Amino acid sequence: MNLEEKIERWRELEEEAREMRRKEADWDFIESQPPRLRAALKFYVETGDIRLASRIADMSIEEFRELLRSARIPVIV
Amino acid sequence: MSAEAFAIADTCFLIDWASWRQRDLLFKLFKTVFVPESVIKEIRSERTFEWIASSLASGSLSLFTETPDILSLARDLVERSKLFPIRGIDLPEAICLAAGKMRNYTVITENRGALMAADILEELSGVRVWRSLELITEGLRRELIRGDPLKVFEEYERDTGHRFPRRDLEVVLRELRGED
Repeated sequence: MNLEEKIERWRELEEEAREMRRKEADWDFIESQPPRLRAALKFYVETGDIRLASRIADMSIEEFRELLRSARIPVIV
Repeated sequence: MSAEAFAIADTCFLIDWASWRQRDLLFKLFKTVFVPESVIKEIRSERTFEWIASSLASGSLSLFTETPDILSLARDLVERSKLFPIRGIDLPEAICLAAGKMRNYTVITENRGALMAADILEELSGVRVWRSLELITEGLRRELIRGDPLKVFEEYERDTGHRFPRRDLEVVLRELRGED
């Protein structure tokens, strides 16, 4: 597999994971959160980047992980 | 020392693994699992700290102090990962990948950016990067843990809130059941 094919494969995997996060998330819970947490959760749904999302939320990665559970957002790796 | 003797773990992996009831499988697979100082700084919860502290005390985990050469390579990897249209990596994962490359450690991670970087960056070719999926599979294959493989993976998902990619899980289950 060449570089372009590898990048394309990862893009597809990222899109699949994004769709699953969008589908399974508890959007009522997300929308009920304060603006900062709401933005961080939506960022995570779109990107899957937990470190940056936890920084946006001003939380540790572990605290943000618990918030993801509450929001029923799956962590897919 | 063989690559199987040592591993190096990143933050997301340790956080997930600390929640799993069969977490000590990790220490049956590797003689020592290194934890970078930068990773320890990211751990906050009592549950994870307790597991890490007791495992450090028993010698199953060891502290990995970043040396200048590892840090230099890690910073290069962070920059290189940003050149591609994929998710980049941050320094804590990059340190694990750099140690994997320079010290021949198995890198254990639940960070997709780290998996992408290992797959795409030429300078990381040959570095072994495992997720929980590969670790649990290896534990089942070597009968270090027992039980119906599907139930073991489901139990892990329940305990940690992690989700295995379905396609990857199906491939692993077929292999463990001898269907491949």
